[in-house]
Amino acid sequence: MSVITIALPSKGRIKEDTAAIFDRAGLAISAVGNDRSYRGRIEGMDGVEIAYLSASEIARELASGAVDFGVTGEDLVREGMAGADQRVEFCARLGFGQADVVVAVPEIWLDVETMADLGDVAADFRARHGRRLQIATKYWRLTQQFFSSQHGIQLYRIVESLGATEGAPAAGQADIIVDITSTGSTLRANHLKILSDGVILKSEACLVRARKPDHEDDPRVAQIVEAVRGVL
Amino acid sequence: MPLIDMPEFSGDLLAEFAARRTERVNTPVIQPAEPFLDMAGEDLRRRIFLTESETGANLCLRPEFTIPVCLRHIETATGTPKRYSYLGEVFRQRREGAYEFYQAGIEDLGDKDIASADARVIGDAIGILKALLPGRKLGVTLGDQAVFEAVVSALGLPFGWQRRLIHAFGDMAHLEALLERLARPQPVTGLYPEIAGLLASGNEAELVSRIDRTMQETGYSTNASRSPAEIARRLKEKLELAETRLDGTALLLLREFLTLQLPLADAPAALAGFADAAGLKLGPAAALFDARLAALANAGADLSAMTYRAAFGRPLDYYTGLVFEVTEAGSPAVLAGGGRFDRLLTLLGAKDHIPAVGFSLWLDRIEAVRAKQ
Repeated sequence: MSVITIALPSKGRIKEDTAAIFDRAGLAISAVGNDRSYRGRIEGMDGVEIAYLSASEIARELASGAVDFGVTGEDLVREGMAGADQRVEFCARLGFGQADVVVAVPEIWLDVETMADLGDVAADFRARHGRRLQIATKYWRLTQQFFSSQHGIQLYRIVESLGATEGAPAAGQADIIVDITSTGSTLRANHLKILSDGVILKSEACLVRARKPDHEDDPRVAQIVEAVRGVL
Repeated sequence: MPLIDMPEFSGDLLAEFAARRTERVNTPVIQPAEPFLDMAGEDLRRRIFLTESETGANLCLRPEFTIPVCLRHIETATGTPKRYSYLGEVFRQRREGAYEFYQAGIEDLGDKDIASADARVIGDAIGILKALLPGRKLGVTLGDQAVFEAVVSALGLPFGWQRRLIHAFGDMAHLEALLERLARPQPVTGLYPEIAGLLASGNEAELVSRIDRTMQETGYSTNASRSPAEIARRLKEKLELAETRLDGTALLLLREFLTLQLPLADAPAALAGFADAAGLKLGPAAALFDARLAALANAGADLSAMTYRAAFGRPLDYYTGLVFEVTEAGSPAVLAGGGRFDRLLTLLGAKDHIPAVGFSLWLDRIEAVRAKQ
């Protein structure tokens, strides 16, 4: 029987919250070697390995099928691969790490409350400003899907932002942002507002399975999923 | 060209281009990516092959020829009219087919006789396909954004609504959503009472200075892209547009127009009949449509074998009038696609307005049709 690898977050609150759920589910994790090791195993379950990775690497490893399970944010999984639902299964929503991926515009854009408003502004942005509307984000894929497929907005440009995205409009790097927010307080502090229909994704930490044919008759796979679901 | 993997009919194709008095141009395979992303939008990013120069400039493998040919025309400043042709590889991620494939085509720049230039490129596309695919029956479909614009304008909708509908033309789902909003207008809610008051009293100057003050206080002014005046103006327009309701009859007319699909030969009468019954005047757009057809007929085209589809368009803001596609009759695979893009050269930086129309040929699909005898 091949080894089942579960990729778990390697640090922070999300690591602790994950460990707590696995504990409650009867899947107690012990580190291999010392406490700071990045490998672990599940007590009493043979052929299952834990790999501690960063949350965004977990999404990547799930996409490539290098791991069987992962715990990471839905936003990172959907951003990291095309056709996510065909390639992975979201087995359980774990109830922590909640954050929304949202479209936010300057508060003072009193005329922009909806995506339709933004579509109007984007349509004649070039005529007024000599360039396309610019969106600062690290969520390229989610932005494109939301803007073009769902709202028919094609004419905008993405400006890659790797951090402090909320500051981009005031700094003149972009006009609006697509970013993650949990309480909205950072957005408000930067005088940005979320569009009324501008929630792209309500994300939280999930137990995600890479869809692999040999999972189908592997009892350990079903056992892990059921154990986690059972304590939620 | 010494490439051994060129389509085997490349020689015939180049002879066709020469006989049609075009100037063959080549453009580098590696192109600056910005013009493509700027013109076609971010959606293109997933479909092109991007890379970066050592200095951080965005580069891509040529995803198509129209933009490079037009940029080259602007740079070389050789004046118009010009008829360019091209044949070379393009690189695009597609659901079906290889990532690199050959395209060829003609770009006809600067001819101010719109109807005859339109008819000429349609004739070129069909003529070349007939030469490459002897004996095959072709299907030709035409659309015309200018006719749609005329219908929308004749319905008497406010300018802002016309702009929305025209912008969505060619994207049926988006267009349907807009028609739905026109049928059931929703009032604007959520305005601060003070702002609503200023709008109601028509005190635009005070509204602008209020917005300006807030921008100053929040430190947003320094880099603000949209000015207080722009925001105030659009806020006012938004309130007006939100009250626009298109009555049931007008909506039915618009929907009826969008479902029109008939032999091109019957299209002028059908459009005239539609306009009469609806009490609309389509003006210059209808005249241009008829003139184009006359030019096509003059050139010997069989209009009864072509189709006019009123909803056929491309939702990109540089397309302006004619769009057309040629397939093998009964097959969905587009062998040649083209249209008029009178706004593109200005958007790319040309100083003068240069009317432009052209088409490209999908050589891999043409090859496939030739192969199945």
